[in-house]
Amino acid sequence: MAYRGHKINPQRFEKSQLKIIAMILPIVFVMGLPIVFIFCHAFKPMEELFAYPPQFFVYNPTFENFTKLFKASRTAGIPMSRYAFNSILITASVVAASLLLTTMAAFALSKLRFKGKGMLMQINQTALMFVSVAVMIPRYLTVNVLGLTDTYLAHILPLVALPVALFLVKQFVDQVPDSLIEAAYIDGASDWHVYVRIIVPMIKPAIATAAILVFQQVWGNMETSNYYVNDEGLKTLTFYMNTLANANNTVAGQGMAAAAALIMFVPNLVLFIILQNNVMNTMAHSGIK
Amino acid sequence: MSKEKKVKKPRISAGKLARREAMAGYLFVLPWMIGVVIFLLRPLFTSFQFSLNNIRITPKGRMFNFVGYQNYTQIWLEDPEFPVELMGYMWSTLLSVPVIVVFALIIAMLLNGKIHMKGFFRLIFFLPVIIVSGPVMNMLVADGAATIPSMDIQAISTALDQFLPHSLVESISELFNNMIMILWYSGVQILIFLSALQKIDGSLYEAAKIDGGSGWECFWKITLPTIKPMVLLNAVYTVIFLSNHGNNAIIGMIQNSMFSGTKEKGYGYAAAMAWIYSLVVTLIVLLFAFLLAGRKDIYERQVIKVKRAKKKEIQMVKKIERRGKANAKKIQKARLRKKYRSYDKNRED
Repeated sequence: MAYRGHKINPQRFEKSQLKIIAMILPIVFVMGLPIVFIFCHAFKPMEELFAYPPQFFVYNPTFENFTKLFKASRTAGIPMSRYAFNSILITASVVAASLLLTTMAAFALSKLRFKGKGMLMQINQTALMFVSVAVMIPRYLTVNVLGLTDTYLAHILPLVALPVALFLVKQFVDQVPDSLIEAAYIDGASDWHVYVRIIVPMIKPAIATAAILVFQQVWGNMETSNYYVNDEGLKTLTFYMNTLANANNTVAGQGMAAAAALIMFVPNLVLFIILQNNVMNTMAHSGIK
Repeated sequence: MSKEKKVKKPRISAGKLARREAMAGYLFVLPWMIGVVIFLLRPLFTSFQFSLNNIRITPKGRMFNFVGYQNYTQIWLEDPEFPVELMGYMWSTLLSVPVIVVFALIIAMLLNGKIHMKGFFRLIFFLPVIIVSGPVMNMLVADGAATIPSMDIQAISTALDQFLPHSLVESISELFNNMIMILWYSGVQILIFLSALQKIDGSLYEAAKIDGGSGWECFWKITLPTIKPMVLLNAVYTVIFLSNHGNNAIIGMIQNSMFSGTKEKGYGYAAAMAWIYSLVVTLIVLLFAFLLAGRKDIYERQVIKVKRAKKKEIQMVKKIERRGKANAKKIQKARLRKKYRSYDKNRED
């Protein structure tokens, strides 16, 4: 018989699913509130934005906020596409670099034996607890000493080592059975091979989750643009959107802020839709039966 | 005399393989370590140094004035808000972490069932966490969307006020107040649980079903033990998330005092605050780790016991060997000095 794998997603709706859906639907309604809100809010005309009592839904949707936002960006010296490019470049490189480093470190910390392993893990845990606000200024000093101010590296490097991601990935690497790795060693695989051929495919869900996490942090990060970079042309889209919304911190700014929030939110949505299948289906096929 | 030449055993350098493995380990960790040292540890260390100073930023540059632990005592004894806020934070975190983790587990179990349009549901559950960490959150809270409207919180809190400390009651009523918001926080936790649930072998459940296990039993005996490490992970993640996200009052306070130009505050003061805060966070995480850390099952305990016994035995053997050698040496010496009286009559020394 041909291998069919575990069918995780049923293709059709069946009666047996009814009870689960009945349980989920009310919660879905609650969880969906912010999403509905962010979409509604961006399309609200002025009088609905400031209506009292505040309205949740939009009644007369307009594109007014978006046109205002783009108009405001046109008057600025640097085109919006520049900021968008910066943001995409920075986010992509941080996500790629940090995933590579994280999985490598997690593999070593979890499966290889060397001195000081426990201590390294402790260090990571300690770093995890520390609020990033507190290290902001010392970090700036470091960036300054390294001569990174006003480069892309100032955006990228401070964010690459994300303790949360390591913590998460390591938990998953721990669960990869040792016997699988031993078998590979016996067949003559090097450490690098084990890492590439066994560890990475087996922890794909964790990698996808970590990717979403890292992306979210980097994409929404304004700290680096605020403090480490002076050159306007090197700042990120998030920073720009925020300043636009805050600069006209009047009534008009509110609508633009809502529109900006929606625009910043969409990439998260897209990434999640792309990665979510990875989060789910890979695990079913891998490992030992 | 025996003609046996004493062959010196070729000494195998202790664990060539082990050393190679250690090498690989260091190589794999190295890039990560460099990043952590430069951008996390060093700044952490510097911030600790700063916390012992009174720092003022003047046009001439940074002025350091070493004050020792004064910043810390000042925070505890003179700051009107920080200790209060810290207590409130502690209670609310301790209360909301279990809620979030349990909720995430329930949702993950539901989503792991066989239903149509799973991707869509997953999306709905994950997305709030992205929005919530942005500025939109404040607007939402202002709209009153974060509360369950029909719940009478006032009545609950007055009822609880009679036999619980006030700060705890406040946190509880806050928990109820922001119940929906807390549910929004659980997106990542749901994902983590889901990917753990995916890995449980389906045949385990089949076997249990055949043996007559109910779904309830399956949950307690199969699901929960298997995903236990993830429960810990999620608890820790939740604590970190709650203590680091932008709406946290303490973060705001730290930031405010960081950029305040007053004489007694400033960066040193803020750094001290941050250290106290992270100490509290660490304590909370440790508490959860202590509660949830996998207690080893009987088999593992037995293995550890045997290992320990074996180790002891080996040590004993070595000890005896060593003692024997030492004694032999002593006897040899004594014999050389003719002080050793041999009881062996046949001996001719």
